[in-house]
Amino acid sequence: MITYAYYPGCVAQESGKELDNATKFIAGKLGMNLIPMPEASCCGGGVIDGFDKNLKLFINGRTLALAEKDGLDIMTICNTCTLTLSEVNEELINNPESLEKTNEYLGKIGLKYTGKVKVKHILYAVRDDIGFDKIKEKAVKSLKGIKIAPFYGCHILRPSSAVKFDDVENPHGFEELIKALGGEPVSYARRTKCCGFQTILVNEATSTSLAGNAIYEAQEKNADVMVTPCPLCHLSLDTYQTVAAKSINKKLSLPILHLPQLIGVALGADYAEMGFSRHNVSLRGIMAKIRQNEI
Amino acid sequence: MEFKVRACRFNPETDEKPYYKEYTAEDYPGMTVLNALIKIKSELDGTLSFRRSCRSAICGSCAMKINGITKLACKTQVSHEIDKFGIINVEPLANMPVIRDLVVDQESFFDKIKEIKPYLLGQREDEAHNRFHALKEGEKISQPVYYKSEFQNLTGNEDTPNCILCECCYSECGGVVGNKNYLGPAALAKLYRYSEDPRDNDKNGSRLVGGSKPDGIWDCVHCQSCEEFCPKGISPVKAIVKLHEKSVKNSITFSAGSKHVVSIARSIGETGRLDEVKVAFESGGITGLINDLPMAFGAGLKGKIPPLRHKLIKDMEDIRLAYKELDLEDKL
Repeated sequence: MITYAYYPGCVAQESGKELDNATKFIAGKLGMNLIPMPEASCCGGGVIDGFDKNLKLFINGRTLALAEKDGLDIMTICNTCTLTLSEVNEELINNPESLEKTNEYLGKIGLKYTGKVKVKHILYAVRDDIGFDKIKEKAVKSLKGIKIAPFYGCHILRPSSAVKFDDVENPHGFEELIKALGGEPVSYARRTKCCGFQTILVNEATSTSLAGNAIYEAQEKNADVMVTPCPLCHLSLDTYQTVAAKSINKKLSLPILHLPQLIGVALGADYAEMGFSRHNVSLRGIMAKIRQNEI
Repeated sequence: MEFKVRACRFNPETDEKPYYKEYTAEDYPGMTVLNALIKIKSELDGTLSFRRSCRSAICGSCAMKINGITKLACKTQVSHEIDKFGIINVEPLANMPVIRDLVVDQESFFDKIKEIKPYLLGQREDEAHNRFHALKEGEKISQPVYYKSEFQNLTGNEDTPNCILCECCYSECGGVVGNKNYLGPAALAKLYRYSEDPRDNDKNGSRLVGGSKPDGIWDCVHCQSCEEFCPKGISPVKAIVKLHEKSVKNSITFSAGSKHVVSIARSIGETGRLDEVKVAFESGGITGLINDLPMAFGAGLKGKIPPLRHKLIKDMEDIRLAYKELDLEDKL
């Protein structure tokens, strides 16, 4: 059993609850003990340094210190939370001035950070700490014959000075997982590009055209489903898919899975357990296909 | 060792669409992609067009897409690409029209650089003596004195003055892909560079106000590609975020982007959490809300409704203290 301080981020606790539920489902099956962090705050949504750089250090330094107090590494399920916590971790480890300033604040709330915590996104926690082979052993459904388009997004890969899980030029962690589950990874250029979420409330046209073009490219490559490791990308790709289709003037209808849902389906979770009814684009077709694939 | 180069070819005057042509070349230790292209041009196909000049990663001419990622051909080793991809695919820079093969029309890029006024504005009061005038007899030319500390934001490894205008960031920028009018990382990093220059006399904050308009600093999608793929180690996205911070601190908050950032900070300051509904409303206002109503209604029908009232995180007073310590309470 591997224990993590579990940092789901805000969206997975609000509009994207199905992601939190799917994560807890697969954690139980894979022997991952997730310790909740009720004191942890929002990371700042990837933009808080545009308000105040030190606020980003303080609130995320506090989250890191809370995990360090319990001697745990943090597991995340959102790309942007992963990047923000990783950036702050790098800054605190490499910049003594920032660490001193942050610890001055942390000292006043009874905490201290020394830089011992690792921040791991679930995709790479599963790869490195559990092993894709173990998932393969535990799988009860095969994803054979399913064409799956992995959508990495940005913050799980870039900047590689802060997030160091995969090869930033040619990542393969996601594809390895899909293959381990018996699926067929779809190769397409926009798999590592931006979903546009960060500007969805600022410039919707820019944002939705990015998401729309990624979906369209995967569709053109005959993908049955797209999978994302980030709830913010999921909002852009699934919740806004109708708007994205209008934005690029193309017909789009591609189901979008959260990464833990993909693993959950292979581990035998049913439609309700994965919260598929909460998705904008129906998953009934793809689920019917998978249901026939008994191992 | 023999290796393949697959080059994108296109002559808009004669070709309907771009096509690829494959060449075989012989590797030697230390060979760069630019060396390979020069060899192909001189020995195999003189019609292959690409820009090049210094061969030393300083002129920025030979930027192109190499195996899908924008790089300087003169700084990229053939062996590195072959080890990773087994072939060298070369394509022109993205986000600009192609003139011929790997040569793009850079006009839109340089228009945007010009738009941010890449020169020092006005004159500082203590520089009045520098105004152009004929020297009187015996008058000496006096130079203003600047201290190194005044330039502290412009020095270091990630300093924006090191930009060589190669367009790698512009080619990889998600913001430009989504919005052709977006000024882009190189121009905005330059905007930051001038806004921090102690010799710049921008009395009315015109740089920050201009940069906050549509297609400016708040249209950055934070994809981090500009930082990742800059061949000179500059981080335009960090420069853009510094402009965000500077704008908010100077109360230049008329744009939806700045309202968005302030709203997120306010939400965390109130509950420790990000209130999706409130942030959406405060960023886009009534128009944004009406615009998104059909999408929100559809999501609501699926049960994707965030809570209207948020529970405070445990030990919320810790977060309040962070705002207090940083003197941010009045900015919310």
